[in-house]
Formats: sequence, C-alpha cells, structure tokens
Amino acid sequence: MTEKAWMLLLEGAWVTLWISGLASAMGLVIGLAIALLRTARIPVVDQILAVYVSLARATPLVTLVLFLFLAAPTLGLSLDRYAVAIVALTINTSAFNAEIWRTAFLNFPRDQQEAALASGMTPATMFANIMLPQMIITSLPGLVNEMTFLLKSSPAIAIIGLVDLTRVTNRISAVTYEPLPPILAAALIYMVIISVLLKLQSLAEKMAGRLAM
Amino acid sequence: MSEWSIVWEARSTILSGLWLTCWLFTASILGAFMLGCLMLYLLERGGALAWLLRGFINTMRALPFLVLAYLLYYGLSQLGLRMNAVTAGLLAMIIYHGAYFAEILRGSRLVLPPGSIEAAQAHGFMPGSIFLHIILPQLLLRTRPLIGNQLIYALKDTSFLAIITVQELTAAANAVQATYFIPMPAFVVVILLYWAITACLELAVSKAGIFGKARGFENV
Amino acid sequence: MSDLPAVEIRKLSKSFSGVEVLRDIDLTVNKGEVVSVLGSSGSGKSTMLRCINWLEEPDSGSVFIAGQRIGYNSDKQRPMTNREMAATRARTGMVFQSFNLWPHLTVSQNVAISPIKVKGMPKAQARDLATQLLEKVGLGDKAEVYPFTLSGGQKQRVAIARALAMSPEVMLFDEPTSALDPERVGEVLQVMRDLSGEGYTMVVVTHEMEFARMVSDQVVFLDKGLIIEKAPPEIFFTNPASERVRRFLDRQD
Repeated sequence: MTEKAWMLLLEGAWVTLWISGLASAMGLVIGLAIALLRTARIPVVDQILAVYVSLARATPLVTLVLFLFLAAPTLGLSLDRYAVAIVALTINTSAFNAEIWRTAFLNFPRDQQEAALASGMTPATMFANIMLPQMIITSLPGLVNEMTFLLKSSPAIAIIGLVDLTRVTNRISAVTYEPLPPILAAALIYMVIISVLLKLQSLAEKMAGRLAM
Repeated sequence: MSEWSIVWEARSTILSGLWLTCWLFTASILGAFMLGCLMLYLLERGGALAWLLRGFINTMRALPFLVLAYLLYYGLSQLGLRMNAVTAGLLAMIIYHGAYFAEILRGSRLVLPPGSIEAAQAHGFMPGSIFLHIILPQLLLRTRPLIGNQLIYALKDTSFLAIITVQELTAAANAVQATYFIPMPAFVVVILLYWAITACLELAVSKAGIFGKARGFENV
Repeated sequence: MSDLPAVEIRKLSKSFSGVEVLRDIDLTVNKGEVVSVLGSSGSGKSTMLRCINWLEEPDSGSVFIAGQRIGYNSDKQRPMTNREMAATRARTGMVFQSFNLWPHLTVSQNVAISPIKVKGMPKAQARDLATQLLEKVGLGDKAEVYPFTLSGGQKQRVAIARALAMSPEVMLFDEPTSALDPERVGEVLQVMRDLSGEGYTMVVVTHEMEFARMVSDQVVFLDKGLIIEKAPPEIFFTNPASERVRRFLDRQD
C-alpha cells in the first residue's frame, strides 16, 4: 500500500466519522424529544410517533438513504448527498435512541419522584434536576452501543456514491488492481474506531453501575 | 394514482427482489445459527481454538457487515477465489451473523448457573450430549429477545448486498424507479414490505416466548 | 406565625380499586404537636399520611396545611396547577420508609437542591444550611460523599435533614425506621426525639411503641380505614377505650 492509498483511506475514515458523529449527536437530542413527547401520551401524536419509530427501526439504512436521495427531488427538496446521508442516519438512530430514553424514563424509580414532589419541586424542576441527570447516566451504555451500531451501518451511504471508509477501498483498488490490502486496512481502521467506542461503553457501564448501588 | 399502478405493473421485479431477500435471509440465518452454535461448542471445549474463535468473534463485532462482504466479493478475487455476488453475500451473512449469534449465546453461557450441568455430569452424560441437551436449550430459552433483535439486524443487512450488485428487494426498488422514474411509490412499497417482514419476525419471536413461559424461564 | 393548626384533615376518604382504605378521616395536628399514627399493616395509616401532601389524591375530603387547602385552589374554585401544588407541598417535609435519596447528588447536594431550585435560595446560603442541618443530624463529616456509601441509618438521617431544609410547617414520617437494621433504628429515633424537643410539628406513622409512648402528644390508631382511638399516650397505652386497641397492644409485648 502506497502512502497515497493510506491518505485516501484516512479521508474515507474522516467522512465516516464526521457523518456518523453528527447524525449521532442529532439523533441523541431528537430521540430524547421523541421519548418525552411519547411519555406525554398526547392522542394521535403518540400513535404517529410510535409508527415513526417502528418504521424507522424496520427500514434498512441502505434503503432509506437511497429512498431519500431519489425521492427528495420529487418533493421539491434539493439536498446534496451529504445532507441526505446525515438525514437518513439521523432518522435511523433517533428511532433507536428514542426507545433507549423512553425505557430510562419509564423505569425511573417512582419513590425518587415522590421525594422530589414532596419537597416542593414542580414536575419540570424535578425532571431537569432529579430525572434527566440520572437518565443520562443510565442510558449512556445503550446510547454508546447505538453509536457503534450506527457506525457499523454507515457504509450504507456508499449506495449514493459517497466515498466513506468502506467505499474508498474500491477507489484504491481501481488504480492498484489489488483489492485485498485496502479492504484489510479499512477493516483495521474500523476496528480501532469501534474499540474506542467499546471502551467508552464499558466506562459508561461502570458509571451506571455505581448509580444503581 | 397512476404512479401506484405502475408499481403494480412492475410487481414482478419487486416480487423477485422480495423472493431473493427472503431466501437470502432464511438461508443465512439458518446457516449463521448453526455456525453460532458450533462456535459456542468449540468455545466450550477451550484451548487454542477457543482463543482464536474469541478473536474472530470480536473482530466481526468491530466490523461493518459491508466490509466483510467486500472482502469476500472483491478481496478474495485477488487470491483467485472468485464467487458470484449472491454466493459471496450469503457467505458473508452466515459468517458475520454466526459470530453475533455465538456472542449472544456466550454472554448467556457465562451467567448460566452450573447446577444443571453438574447434575448432568453426575448422571453420566458425555460432554457433547450435555452441550446439546442441557446447555444449548437453556441458552436459547434465555436469549430469545436478543436472538429476535439479531434476526432483524440480519434482515436489514441483506440490503447491503444491493451495493455488491445482488438484485434483492432494495435493488429491485431502485430498478423499478430507474425504469419508470417513480422513486416515491417504489420505495414506499418496498419499505412497507420490510416493515411487514419485521413485524412477522417480532410476532414469531414473541410467540416463541410460550416455550420459555411454560418452563418458567420468562422472568429470569 | 398564625395559630391555625399545622394540619387539618376533614372528612377524608379514599379507595383503591373499590376497596375503601380511608373512611371519613378527621384529624387536627396543632403547631408543635407530635402525633404518632399506629395500626396494623393495611389499616390505611400510610395512605392517610400520603394524602396530607397529596402524593395520594383522596376521593373526597380536604386537607389544610397551616390554613391553606392543598390540591384545590379555594380562591379560584379549581384544582391546583402543578406550580401551586409544588408551592403547597414545599410547606411540608416528608421522610420515607426507603429514604429515597437522589443517588446522583452528594449528601450535601441532596439537602441543598430543594432550597435552591424551589425557594430560589442562593447557592452559598443553601450550602451553609445543608452543612448546619447535617451537623444537626450528626453527619457533618459526610457532606461530600454520595448516598451509596452510607448505612441505612445514615441515609435516613440525611433524608430528615433534606426535609428540614425547606423549613416545613409539618414533618411527615412514613415508617422511617421500618427498613433499617435493628441496630440502626436508635440513631434515627434519637434525631426525631431531638426534633420534637425543638418544637417541630410531626406526624409519625410508626411501629415503634416506645417512641410513640415517650415522644408523642397524641396517639392515633387506625383500623380498616377508620380512626378508632385518639388519645394522649398516657391514656392510650394504659387505658384505651377500644377493645381493638387493647388487643393490638397485647400483641406488641
């Protein structure tokens, strides 16, 4: 593998990282918003969100990316490839995150809520000061796990021609006629990135474990 | 509504994609499941092979599915091993999800109380027989929800094969829209099909819970 | 300071899925009084306590905290908003059987957070208050640790300090020693005894006969959702009016 090939790989890795990272960050917030809206149990809104979550979880990312890329222009939306990729990844991960947040909300200990209400907190004050900080800690392992899953499905964006860490191997082998080395090198880079996330996850699990005591 | 009737006209393309997706999915999860059980058995026996398998499973867990598919389809051709896209895709599905099944079962194996195994040993069971009749059934009952999730991941991973030119369901939607320029209806239909398959899988997995419930496993 | 009773319960009734757990309860707790509530399990005593700060919403009847009705805005003739509810609850302090400390906050933060977030007390002042209250319950050295490092008795003393931090009109204790190891009960009862000595108004649901006898001004006995005896401890424990209380007391010894 030439130095040029490594540079191309790193560029691909960068595309993978920033698109997944941005989608993850937005998915965290949107997922929380969906979860909170759902716990409010507003008729119709609740059903719509439930269907959204169910559909978004069942749709393969490849299908979703391609769908948005092809269908957006017919709705008069002009999105570039990167925007399509980010929107698709965000739709996907926000649905999974919504379920993680919702579980944390529904499993929040009732008696801690009572203690907060008894001391005169309004539901909003209680949510911000007592529930949310703990929900973040207990959800963190699941949320980081979901980031790992998102990163592993991110090569789906190759289908609309974005050159991420997986697809860049095609670019390299088109010149060298040797596909094996770039694929193995890309695999190695994925393993490094994901092992960092797994490390983060086990740290998060330790934190959550401390809270449970 | 004419766009929708075009999808109906083009139904044979979509149905053949659906057929390929279902076929690939079924064949690969059966293969992956057996591979996963085999790997678990080899892990159980320990030794150097178990150590290698652990490394292999962890590698698979740190890789996107598409990278493995690329490796088999493009990478191995450099070594003179040429497969068509469907074969490479099927093989990738089996290997990749086999590793995940093995990991799910291994996680449950670690927390399996040793009592029932000791009882089987005391009864004079052979190790292979203990694995097949005592350990594996309990692990399957315990890991039902996780296996259910993995099935859905496997279904969704078949769509990656569109990228290595397999004409499965997503590729079929793309073919229909490219011929008739109707991206919206073509993809809506295909997404609803994925949704329906997922719903059936979820229903089947939840129905399978009765086996565990009848044996008092659902609250462990 | 007005002379209104700290707590006044009028005609309180409550059922859970068709089963009546409280029937026409009337009870007045005057300022500075310690009222012990006794009764076998399932008698409705915890439900009555939880109705005082509306954690449990009664089916009918009313509760007044120092003259202010809880749960219902009498001026505007409508149920209270969340904000009004919170402001009224802030005038009571509650100590739970299972402590219910907030595990993500340090001991000091557990005590200080409600004054800061509910009363808008400046942080430094709330911290000083927490220090002072933790000293009072004998845990001055534990201010910066997290709750999971404490014993049950220590947790409950923190919970008491947390409730005191809001300077409530009345302290509600819901079986505060029932979840404790026997050797930890004494330290919590001692703190409660000190509070009564300082003139705090307290309603205590408890199984501790000794505490009820020594510390309370009134003892109330509930049976099947009814108050069947209400008397000063000297009378309650030596010469109760009802046969049911006599049997209850016999079983305790």
